[in-house]
Amino acid sequence: MKYILMMTGTKADFDWYAKWPKKDLEAQFAFMHDFNKDLKDSGRLVAAEGLAFPDQAKIVRAGKDGEPITDGVFPESKEFLAGYWIVDVESAEEAYRIAARASAAPHPPRRGQLGTQENQPIEVRQVMSGPPEELLR
Amino acid sequence: MKYILMMAGTKAGVDVYRAWPNKDVQAHFAFLNGLNKELRESGELVATQPLAGPDEAKVVRAGKDGAPITDGVFPEAKEFLLGYWIVDVESPERAYEIAARLSAGPGPGGVPTNMPIEVRQIMTGRTQEMDIEGSGAKMERSKQK
Repeated sequence: MKYILMMTGTKADFDWYAKWPKKDLEAQFAFMHDFNKDLKDSGRLVAAEGLAFPDQAKIVRAGKDGEPITDGVFPESKEFLAGYWIVDVESAEEAYRIAARASAAPHPPRRGQLGTQENQPIEVRQVMSGPPEELLR
Repeated sequence: MKYILMMAGTKAGVDVYRAWPNKDVQAHFAFLNGLNKELRESGELVATQPLAGPDEAKVVRAGKDGAPITDGVFPEAKEFLLGYWIVDVESPERAYEIAARLSAGPGPGGVPTNMPIEVRQIMTGRTQEMDIEGSGAKMERSKQK
């Protein structure tokens, strides 16, 4: 069974991340490197991608003639995908355990909340190999 | 240059989609299959993946002992990723063109859905060269392939 593990954040979260001290970034990169290597070595890593920051995000809609109309203005509350992993595992629980490891990645204290160590939420969902059954009834 | 094209929606939006008449759903999938085939033949399609519906989504956090704490309650306004395409293209404009094609996909009665498609460049594979001196993380979190 394949599951996608998604890391998301608002623009404010990304702004915070962009200001991390170098040593915190290095600690995070080292963690991610080991985490990814573990997943790869155990044969569970299907794919992992990191996305450009939200300031490069565009929303595209088709105009009347089918031409792309792009917009780069988003509500403050919008959650942007920062990156994801797809893992091939035996059960949802195994996917949740892997997500918990990603959630526990090291980070400096959250902005304005010195001493608190709120872990990163990771959204987990199964990926389908074809269109959902219910849509093909 | 690789770009990700993301289709997202709220639970309410997904419920509307699920109430589409069968023939409209089939027309939409025929459209998507045709577009996928075209992108595969042009060599631009890197990956495409539909996700399970929002009712199956969980948010996982590590507890104090590192054990997963799962939560399945989300705000009404939350946008769920429903599926994505990764394309390898010459320019962002080409990625926007493909996104517009997706946005123009047929909805009920064949009327284009005009669905918003979020487009962003994929940074994986470029992160090793990232410069974390001084200005902080300009690029994306490090994920090695």
